[in-house]
Amino acid sequence: MVTFDERLKAICARMEDRGLDLIVAIHDGAHFIETPNPVMVLSGFKSLGPAACVLDRTGETILIVTPAWDAERAQVVCPGARVIGGDDMAEDLLAVISQHPKAALGIAGLSVAPFGIAKRMADRFSNAGSADDVVFDAAVAKTDDEIAWAREAARIAELNYRHLLQIARPGVSEDELAIELRWHSKSLGAEDNFLLLCASPHNRAVQPSTGRKIAEGDIILAEITPSFCGQLAQICRTVSVGTASELLRTKYELVVEAMNAGIGAAAPGATMADVCRAINAALEAQGYGEYCHPPHIRRRGHGLGFASIRPGDVALDNPTTLAPGMVFMIHPNQYLPETGYLLCGEPVLITPAGAEPLTGRQAALAELS
Amino acid sequence: MFTMHPTLLVGPADWDAAAMPKAEFADRIVTLWRPCDPGVAGAVVYGSPRHHAELAYFTHFTPKLEPAIALIPRAGEPRLLVGGGVNMLGAAKPLTWVDQLLPLRDAATSITQWAAETGALALINGDAMPLRLREAVGKTLGATPLDVTGAVAATMHRKSMREMAMVRAGCATLEVTVAAMRQAHDAGQGATDIVLAGEQTAYRRGAQDVRTLFGRDGRLMPFIAPVAEPVDPLQVYVAVRHGGYWAEGFAALSRSASSVRRRASAILAEAIAAARPGMPHRELAGLIAQEIAPSARHFVTVRDFGHSIGLALEEPYRLNETSDGVLEPGEVYTMRVGLADNGAPAVVSAMVAIGDGDQDVLWKEP
Repeated sequence: MVTFDERLKAICARMEDRGLDLIVAIHDGAHFIETPNPVMVLSGFKSLGPAACVLDRTGETILIVTPAWDAERAQVVCPGARVIGGDDMAEDLLAVISQHPKAALGIAGLSVAPFGIAKRMADRFSNAGSADDVVFDAAVAKTDDEIAWAREAARIAELNYRHLLQIARPGVSEDELAIELRWHSKSLGAEDNFLLLCASPHNRAVQPSTGRKIAEGDIILAEITPSFCGQLAQICRTVSVGTASELLRTKYELVVEAMNAGIGAAAPGATMADVCRAINAALEAQGYGEYCHPPHIRRRGHGLGFASIRPGDVALDNPTTLAPGMVFMIHPNQYLPETGYLLCGEPVLITPAGAEPLTGRQAALAELS
Repeated sequence: MFTMHPTLLVGPADWDAAAMPKAEFADRIVTLWRPCDPGVAGAVVYGSPRHHAELAYFTHFTPKLEPAIALIPRAGEPRLLVGGGVNMLGAAKPLTWVDQLLPLRDAATSITQWAAETGALALINGDAMPLRLREAVGKTLGATPLDVTGAVAATMHRKSMREMAMVRAGCATLEVTVAAMRQAHDAGQGATDIVLAGEQTAYRRGAQDVRTLFGRDGRLMPFIAPVAEPVDPLQVYVAVRHGGYWAEGFAALSRSASSVRRRASAILAEAIAAARPGMPHRELAGLIAQEIAPSARHFVTVRDFGHSIGLALEEPYRLNETSDGVLEPGEVYTMRVGLADNGAPAVVSAMVAIGDGDQDVLWKEP
């Protein structure tokens, strides 16, 4: 396991290998589960607005935050950094970089930044290469703190799910359930929650909630993803509204079996593709081979940000080799023609002994009576 | 105000045809073409979960999960490209009046094909597009495409009767939200519990979104870790969204009388009285600045004393001493007075609608 400082040293060493004098990380402050945040990797700071972080080879860090009044919070989070608070991140960043006219720069986060910010960076730093790999490769394994936060986020997710089972009933809309769960997870200490929740007798996918009211015979899908101190953890759960049919029970056991095959395959030295293959094999053995590929499924899990989303997707095209300290989701989340989409997934930590689920209780089909 | 952007927008955002009929959206689209060259045959409207006021204005669609793009032709039916695959379209349909929904995947190609069918295109909110997408779109629309974002903003800031009803509903929710916080504060609850009490009240009244900041000594922080102990005075900022429209307010919660808060409230009352149609922004801002002096301004009012508000939490019409704008009928403003006397800070605010001859206070900190 690594500490934040050790990770930063690893990034500095990689800068030296690459001949980079400075890394400039930018982020627009629109935190999204699928979008990594290089500013958080380098500083640990989750910003309100656009933010940037400049790192030199010695480990000196300059953190630029917006709005200006959030600088005090940033300084508390990053006591070792020089913090600049302003109302135009790009302008402040350009002023900082202008003091290093001959520095070899690498930029992280440019490709996903909004055009209004990114264009100014791209124009000014046209000779700078991408440093995404330098930043995010170093964050492929979580720090000790991030692992502890992921455990807490997983604990909150399970309590949040328990709350769902208490309050979900026919007549309540998906939106009402989702906002109540979001509020509930915040009351447990989560500062955010990526909460996909939908219901139907035959779901085609897990989707954001709508005003549709839950009805008897529905299957509720919930991807509950609280964030604690900026670290996400997710659980994927399926709930039958009313007594589940024997068919649904049998099929759900199959996706649990597939998930456990994936968890069993997730050990140091294996690849993310191996994990995906293990999950697919369990489903293919039961005749669901055609449902193991797009458009029915594109991945069997994913990394967990907000900072880094490495090791990436549990997918056949991901050759990343697993190593201790990695945290990611394993979720078969399978569409089956007989039952529709079923959610089943756990966050796992890779340890020398294999994948350790961060949850206390693994997915099982629940029934609302 | 900047607030912590949530990773997914979870609140109720279905299109309600009774509250905002299709005809209103059709009128907006007709208005869109007025400032455009007749050669412009369509508009590409981008919206991300963070910046989607223009997209919502034309389609009612709130991109809860991933970005969306509306392709609006001068003649014919619009299309809406939404994030995710075909199997995600079902969740998008209730959120919009637009019938033609398509997956957003390979948006640049979709736009190129549409341009070939349609003709010259204008761009709206292109600055919020990710760099790669915007560059790809630039290949079709040209390096400097006709950007009508500003013209749309000029239309959006004047609210229709139906929009005003949404804003009023938001203000009513804001009222009970702040009241719930005040009640929790008076009961001696911890800072986080106070904020949570307000948020729960807002959600249970059907708020689409609720954003809060809070802190001691006039500071404003996002929720990161729980603060269990009571804080007095507790400065709070609340923004609630109802039917797509935002209402926001500042309140200084305290069990004891505070001279700085009283003074801030008095200055705000004076500013509201002066906020009549035709009043220049800079004159109104100057009046507030003059009344605050020689006290220090609170940090949230260093640049502006408010701005127009609506589908965007911050519309571009700002109340500051350099603005060239004037208050116009149909606008809604959030007006703020923040100051610090002898190190004791307070911020108070109001939501004010500008009428034909006067103003209507939609919400004000009691």
